Amino acid sequence: MAKTFSNRYIFIYSAVLVTVVALILTVVSVSLKPLQERNQQAEQKQMILKTIGVEATRDNADELYAKHITEADGYYQFAGGIVIPLHGTGLWGPIWGYLALNSENTVVGAVFDHKGETPGLGGEIASDKFAARFIGKKMDVQPIRLKKNADKANAYEVDAISGGTMTSNGVTAMLAEAYEDYSNLRKEGQQ
Amino acid sequence: MKNFDLIKSPFSKNNSITVQVLGVCSCLAVTAQLKPAVVMALSVTVVVALANLIISLLRNTIPPRIRIIVQLVVVSMLVVLVDQFLKAFVYDVSKQLSVFVGLIITNCIVMGRLEAFAMSNKPLPSLLDGIGNGLGYSVILIALGFVRELLGSGTLWGYPVMERLGLYGIGYENNGLMIMPPMALILVGIIIWIHRTRNKDLCEQ
Repeated sequence: MAKTFSNRYIFIYSAVLVTVVALILTVVSVSLKPLQERNQQAEQKQMILKTIGVEATRDNADELYAKHITEADGYYQFAGGIVIPLHGTGLWGPIWGYLALNSENTVVGAVFDHKGETPGLGGEIASDKFAARFIGKKMDVQPIRLKKNADKANAYEVDAISGGTMTSNGVTAMLAEAYEDYSNLRKEGQQ
Repeated sequence: MKNFDLIKSPFSKNNSITVQVLGVCSCLAVTAQLKPAVVMALSVTVVVALANLIISLLRNTIPPRIRIIVQLVVVSMLVVLVDQFLKAFVYDVSKQLSVFVGLIITNCIVMGRLEAFAMSNKPLPSLLDGIGNGLGYSVILIALGFVRELLGSGTLWGYPVMERLGLYGIGYENNGLMIMPPMALILVGIIIWIHRTRNKDLCEQ
């Protein structure tokens, strides 16, 4: 224990150690990437299918997706309407989701997810309970907003998450942005 | 015989959760269901065993002045590896565990064993010590996961036990408190209580 080490030894030791570790991590990361990406894609398909009321497992997601969904310009068409994608930022990282709209632009299904929001607070956006609050709301003349004590009868207001204000604001911003893109798409469609 | 003790003692007199009271944070957080509890238990066991082994192999080359940093680098590497494997092979569970896998790095059990044991012992005993402590942690996690999922959600590993037993029909209700972290703390307290009642020598005067 009384052994002493020179500064030069310490520097070289750290450099070698860090390089070896970096090398190992790179090799593993690159070799596992295809598997991880496949999981992520399957999950995305599962989420889209969920908004239109089709419960898929990871194994049959591909098949069901091909059956129910057609992709067009970054949107997803299904028999009863269109699924629009949502992308935004929460408190700690990215949040995302999908809204299924029928021909009157009423929400028939919603699903949200997040990378690292606080479990139990902002993380609640991933729950079915939260997603269910969107059913029946409208994305026609203005976007849906998250609000404290929202008026349940109002088609453009959804109850925000208590203790998850920053995440809720992120969801509102994400909905506004998606609304913008979606109305542009509808205008193009009319011309 | 001495090596066998290294594996055995963390199950009882040296349990990291109930006696040393280390690693309690993750133990409260991931035990609402059995499955994440088991995966977390396995992950921690793998990390602490391999970290102990690697640090023990390197122990004579590690300059004492940077030993904590070296330990951290090794532990971080192992945790990132575990995280990558979970993402590739059990994606759902890795999503459920989310931040807690990363937090294995700061699990006091891991650093504690490295400092207390691996830095001054040969590789084989260190590996066994790691496995023992990991399993000691696992036993408590799995016990908590079992009780909390069964009483809190009425399922085990996702299988609806209570529904199949027909208990809801006769007025049984799930206990919502069981899935909240405070109840996990109370359960850990109960385990410690029972444990100390049976091992009087653990009680402080």
